[in-house]
Amino acid sequence: MSGPSVSFSGVGLVVGRTEILRGVSFDVAAGSLHAVVGPNGGGKSSLIRALLGRAPHSGEIAVDWPGAPGVVAYVPQTLDFDRGLPMTVLDELAAMTTRRPAFLRPSARDRDLILSALARVGMAEKADRLVGALSGGERQRALMAQALIPDPELLVLDEPMAALDEAGAQAFETLIGELKARGATVIWIEHDLAAVRRLADRVTGLNRSLLFDGAPGEELRPERLFDLFSHHPRPAASDGDVIALRRAGGAS
Amino acid sequence: MSGAFEAFRAFVQSLAAAGWLPPSLAYGFIVNALVAGLIVGPVLGSLGTLVVVKRHAFFSEAVGHAALTGVALGILVGEPYSGPYGALFGYCLLFGIALNYLRNRTGLSADTLIGVALSMSLALGASVLLVLAGKINIHILENVLFGSVLTVTGADIAILAVVGACVLALTFGFYNRFMLASFNAELAAVRGVPVKALDYLFVILVTVVTVASVKIIGAILVGALLVIPAAAARTVATSLRGFLRLSMLFATLSAIVGVIAPMELDIPVPSGAAIILTAGSLFLLAALARATLPRLRGQSA
Repeated sequence: MSGPSVSFSGVGLVVGRTEILRGVSFDVAAGSLHAVVGPNGGGKSSLIRALLGRAPHSGEIAVDWPGAPGVVAYVPQTLDFDRGLPMTVLDELAAMTTRRPAFLRPSARDRDLILSALARVGMAEKADRLVGALSGGERQRALMAQALIPDPELLVLDEPMAALDEAGAQAFETLIGELKARGATVIWIEHDLAAVRRLADRVTGLNRSLLFDGAPGEELRPERLFDLFSHHPRPAASDGDVIALRRAGGAS
Repeated sequence: MSGAFEAFRAFVQSLAAAGWLPPSLAYGFIVNALVAGLIVGPVLGSLGTLVVVKRHAFFSEAVGHAALTGVALGILVGEPYSGPYGALFGYCLLFGIALNYLRNRTGLSADTLIGVALSMSLALGASVLLVLAGKINIHILENVLFGSVLTVTGADIAILAVVGACVLALTFGFYNRFMLASFNAELAAVRGVPVKALDYLFVILVTVVTVASVKIIGAILVGALLVIPAAAARTVATSLRGFLRLSMLFATLSAIVGVIAPMELDIPVPSGAAIILTAGSLFLLAALARATLPRLRGQSA
């Protein structure tokens, strides 16, 4: 069992009158851990949405499976629900990964799968906690656990470490290592450049268009990063648009 | 099936006559209304949990109010005013589906769009009602607006039973997928959930069950029984399981009390109002329980 290679060629995305992505081309090798970095509003999440078939993009995104298409898993930044909802972690994972209505007890098999996935992210003892009582990091770990049911061959992560505490980050790194060892392909959006440099096989810098693509040790150099997080990246923005760099409300 | 229903009704009436059940159940029409309530309660109670999860409360209210216009249009085109189901189903489905279609295309937030559509629909309904005012006894409409135990016929119960069974089956069958689609559309799509199609399915479920319940609860108040029991359950439940069970229990209890209490206590209120007042009381009790019992608040943030 091994993951697919993914090839982005000339991917562009326009939402309303704002050009979010332009001419993005790079390849993700099969079985690699490929990081995508860039400022907020630089189009990282939009690229992911295009990959998942949820954004009407131009250009081509090809996922090349070695055999029959395997399991694709996705870890979003957050889920959108009322925090006071009477739902335990087990309920939440059952709703996301099983067919039997989540208000019934999951079958013994599903329950085992969910509990072992929770154990892999260090949340085993929190299965019966209400989701509203979880910290941001614990919520993110529950989202990671969801992606392990069933074990994925292509895993897409959208800033999975943003709210993780030290222990959570440790669990995450171990997990990424396990998935890589199994041959899964991992596409990983991340803002923690130190973590990218330490873990990723390859890194792509994105700020509406491609800024760099290469080995993390070579690409994540100070002058590159200066460009990456600059308000005026070298590929000039069209018709004087200002690129949003705000933390929230951007088109990321 | 109607034979079994007749037998059940005769059985309940005999129990009431013998003093085992409240004496008002000796009346056939009250048994009809009670059966309708026993169907409406679990169906609306369970669908209501999804209405709360998906934040569709305002939508449910709007569909109920659209039923007013549906009734008016039905009578205008010559349907019987005791049950203008053609226009009711037709207009309300059109209303719900059009709303969802526009929400996908205008980029307006749901509450803004519903505010616009609801006002337009009510204006249309009011206009048609005024046209009708000269032709029929407008007071007959009170039954449709606020519900009446007197007007629930065997045909109404048959429609309600079929619609209720279908809605319940689809609600439970797609429960997890409805939840996941509302949690995160991208994640749902990755997991093979047809997010847009489910949006339409949900709108249709809410609409048909609303319309089928109009006779017993009334057009104005039917949306409330989708929202209030689930809201009450949401405040005291500590798991999804408790949430669904309590919501079904509260809705069913409200329906039973709302049908029987006005007859027993000889209070001249319409059944819909009695049902919603009961549900509202349960909600207040649940809110009070949450405020006073620390165990219910303990875990949630």
